[in-house]
Amino acid sequence: MSARTYLRAMWTVVRKDLLVEVRSKRVLSTSLVFALLVVVAFAFGFAKSVSDLTVLGRGALWIAFVFAGTISVTQAVTAENRDSAIDGLLLAPVDRTAIYFGKVASNTIFVASVSLLTLVAITVFLNYRPPVTMLAALTGTILVASLGFSAVGVVLALLAAQSNLRASLVPILLVPLVIPVLLAGVELTRLLSTGGDLTAWLRLLVAYTGILLLAGMVVFEAVVAD
Amino acid sequence: MTHLAVEGLSKRFGQFVALQSMDLTVSDGQFLGLFGPNGAGKSTLIRLLATLATPTEGAIRLDGDPLDEASETIRGRLGVVTHDTMLYDDLTARENLRLHARLHGVDADRCGSLLDRVGLTHRASERPNAFSHGMRKRLSFARALLHDPDVLLLDEPYAGLDQRAAATLSSVLTEFSDRLVVMATHDFDRGFGHCDRAVVLDRGRVQLDERADEYADHDAFERAYREAVGLEAEP
Repeated sequence: MSARTYLRAMWTVVRKDLLVEVRSKRVLSTSLVFALLVVVAFAFGFAKSVSDLTVLGRGALWIAFVFAGTISVTQAVTAENRDSAIDGLLLAPVDRTAIYFGKVASNTIFVASVSLLTLVAITVFLNYRPPVTMLAALTGTILVASLGFSAVGVVLALLAAQSNLRASLVPILLVPLVIPVLLAGVELTRLLSTGGDLTAWLRLLVAYTGILLLAGMVVFEAVVAD
Repeated sequence: MTHLAVEGLSKRFGQFVALQSMDLTVSDGQFLGLFGPNGAGKSTLIRLLATLATPTEGAIRLDGDPLDEASETIRGRLGVVTHDTMLYDDLTARENLRLHARLHGVDADRCGSLLDRVGLTHRASERPNAFSHGMRKRLSFARALLHDPDVLLLDEPYAGLDQRAAATLSSVLTEFSDRLVVMATHDFDRGFGHCDRAVVLDRGRVQLDERADEYADHDAFERAYREAVGLEAEP
């Protein structure tokens, strides 16, 4: 199978997911509402009692990230399982890892988009003002963290969909597995504000995301072919 | 010459044995009807043949190539219709077909001719959630035929179809008489009418495997079926 065919299959899945989302607004609307609720709860619950709003902003950002991410992967997989639509993708004459990477890419776009919109809400409601110079690095951190989150989230959401517990199983399995991603995200956000050596946390984030992608690629076919 | 071989195939789900040591060979030009009561293993066999499930034991070969080793190439030769239509409700009928056309590397123009073939051209811009069950099934057929497959795997294709949709399906199947078709069904009339070989499954095992012309009519086959699955003869 040529690289071109592989990438075309991946892009076909991403494009399909984006089109489905533009039509249904199922993933972004629900996950964004939850993310904004977290921000509003933080604004009303802690903003007056906490002196350092940067700490509060960082916390709200990554808590919203987990909520939004979990809802996002669950919703995205629910759409695939309706009328066994995913079987149609699996019947395509392409390496099934292309389908996996396509799903991960589209979920990364969803999770990162919600997180970046949450960041905007945090600047409004919590008066969190990250330095303009760190915005690109913060966006990069969110993107890599979203990739790691989606890499494992897609597989676990597909696995949970086949069990009786379905959606309730996703956070139970997902949150422990993404703790290194969250820790690295929180610490990198802190270091970007306060200054300091990013290397160790950046390495952890990138390496762990790589491991999650590799593991997801290996187990994907076993998860979807029952 | 397309040749499908099932060798010592078993599939278990935990303690439940869905298929047990099954051997079967089918060649093109053959229409294999799979009959059996609920839970006999028909749908499991179709999913295994379609590479949508993996066997617990045994192997499936298409022209000598094991499905688990050459699955990408083999999938390009399979057309599959199951109980579920595998359609996205948020995409239009045309968009659904174009999605699969891209994945199969088929020219998008073929989507139009297939929509026409299944009588859905006038509804091409609508989403399948506005369709009746029969229309969804017809669209699912168009999806399965997009890449002009060598092998058709059908699981209860006639279930829930009205007369018109059933007639469309029958004429499509007639066009495939030179290919290899495996159809799992409860519909004796249509199933026996199409097939030239009938296999009866029960509790994951082949109970009967005969040429269809061995039976004088479909009543004779139904009697043999009832005997094979241990049902009382009808008074």
